[in-house]
Amino acid sequence: MTFTIDEWFVVTLARTIKDREAVFHGFGSPCAQVAMHVARHTHARDMLLVEGATYAVNPEPEFIPPTGNDLALQHRAVYQMRFEEFFDAAIRGDIDRMFLSGGQIDAWGNTNVTAVGPIERPKVKLGGGGGGCNLAATIKNLTLWTTRHGSGRTLVEECDFVTDMGHRTKDGTRTQLGFTGGGPEWLVTELGVFDFPEGRARLRQTYPDVTLDQIKDATGFAFEVAGDLKHVPLPSPAELAALRSVDPLGVRRQEFSSTELRRVYEHGSGASCAC
Amino acid sequence: MPFFMDTDKLVTLEEAAARVRDGDVVALGGGLSARLPMALVRELIRQGRRDLHLVGSAHGIDVDLLVAAAAVAICEESYVGFEQDLGLAPAYRRAAEGGEIRLAESCCVTMLTQLRAAEAGVPFLPVRGVKGSDIRRLHPEYAEITCPFTGEVLVAVPALSPDVALIHASLGDRRGNLHFDKPYVLDERFASASQLVVATVERVASTDEVADAGITVPAHLVTAVAEAPFGAHPTSCYPEYAYDRNHLRQYVAAAATAEGASEYLAHYVTGAPTELAYRKLVGEEILERLRGWNQSTQAWKELFA
Repeated sequence: MTFTIDEWFVVTLARTIKDREAVFHGFGSPCAQVAMHVARHTHARDMLLVEGATYAVNPEPEFIPPTGNDLALQHRAVYQMRFEEFFDAAIRGDIDRMFLSGGQIDAWGNTNVTAVGPIERPKVKLGGGGGGCNLAATIKNLTLWTTRHGSGRTLVEECDFVTDMGHRTKDGTRTQLGFTGGGPEWLVTELGVFDFPEGRARLRQTYPDVTLDQIKDATGFAFEVAGDLKHVPLPSPAELAALRSVDPLGVRRQEFSSTELRRVYEHGSGASCAC
Repeated sequence: MPFFMDTDKLVTLEEAAARVRDGDVVALGGGLSARLPMALVRELIRQGRRDLHLVGSAHGIDVDLLVAAAAVAICEESYVGFEQDLGLAPAYRRAAEGGEIRLAESCCVTMLTQLRAAEAGVPFLPVRGVKGSDIRRLHPEYAEITCPFTGEVLVAVPALSPDVALIHASLGDRRGNLHFDKPYVLDERFASASQLVVATVERVASTDEVADAGITVPAHLVTAVAEAPFGAHPTSCYPEYAYDRNHLRQYVAAAATAEGASEYLAHYVTGAPTELAYRKLVGEEILERLRGWNQSTQAWKELFA
């Protein structure tokens, strides 16, 4: 069975979800969105899946549309939260995990989705953070992701603008600011996987077609490498089947450059199989 | 915010848009690709409105079109763009990078809290987050407050009562009762926190029909209502129609340059003096396809392929 980097990446995101967690993705996040459905159809069958812009609870979409706010994402959902209902739950601490990305991400897991360059006259005005600057304070765990690590511009020493706080900014640590959530737990990129012991990104896993030097070259901050650095566990046939079934339009691929999408793998060719 | 007692609030789209004044704080209903108040947005541009202070949660072509038409002074949304699919908002981006609009980027939770303060008639409410985020630097009006009970230091955000809220609904009656489906986004909060509520509806119906469908925003909060079929196009208004992804794609491509944005406006907005003319330009066949989303899963998928 062959599979491509977008599929392996989404399954890796899905595996950051634990069963019985209440999980949310922001809008404009097809990879995280597909990952949540993959998790719910494989290892996390009793998770509470809240769609990012419709607030539908545990829907069974027949396909993921290219927009996050579409009726297709409410299909077979028996309940749909109101906007207030979701945000209240998140800020009082009842949501276990949220997926967050950024045009820039630093070693402390701070993310920038507002502007590259000075905010007064941005070089690039990005879309904005949705509910992130409050949600990042109180949601229990964050899974960060980017599909643009290889660009060399995404993982940076310091974000030009911190939209959503990670583990610490110049204003202080999460504890000092009275934040009740745990902050970033994982950072999944198309090159490898980082965790955050002591609040700072540490490389834990790499894809087998990527070298450590490539990752160092593409990363704007110095990072520790885990003593037991491994390859990212392979996606199982069940995970790949769930993914292909929920995302027939392939919206997850929108997040990858066409060069990246040429990365194809086969079971039995690489690291040990996790299935 | 005040109650509106008139029993007949049905007006033309032109009269509805005329309730918005230059310089107003304007709350935009809907979100992303769904139920944006586009007929009102187009009419505001035709009427040459200026210096608007836009507030909203996650928005797209509504904000971008108003910015392209130089109608906006301040942008206070949590997001403006076209998601991963079509990317950054071209006119908004150009104006932000050129320093032509003031960026007061906000957060869904902060805005919700500010509206709730206005609804409750209190001057502020606290939020737990925002600290640690540079969003705070964009808002000199935020302050800090120490909780008198726990001693926690929280960010205090002022009550927000927009001058006018623009809301698009599926159904409405002459009194102003509105029905629309979830997600309501911030529309209910905008309706009760704003000074005026100007609505467009796909179809004007009897009070009984609207009540049977379920009243989302009650008449006493609504100032004026106008009938505007396809009034959310090119965004969706389910169950009536899906969003017009091809049209949005065309727009984003055109608006990549200032000239292209002007051509789009000249063709589809100022070049179409009425919404009827706009619908003709878009094409009846295309609108029918968008209405056909519910014929089969395949038909729905093909709209998005």
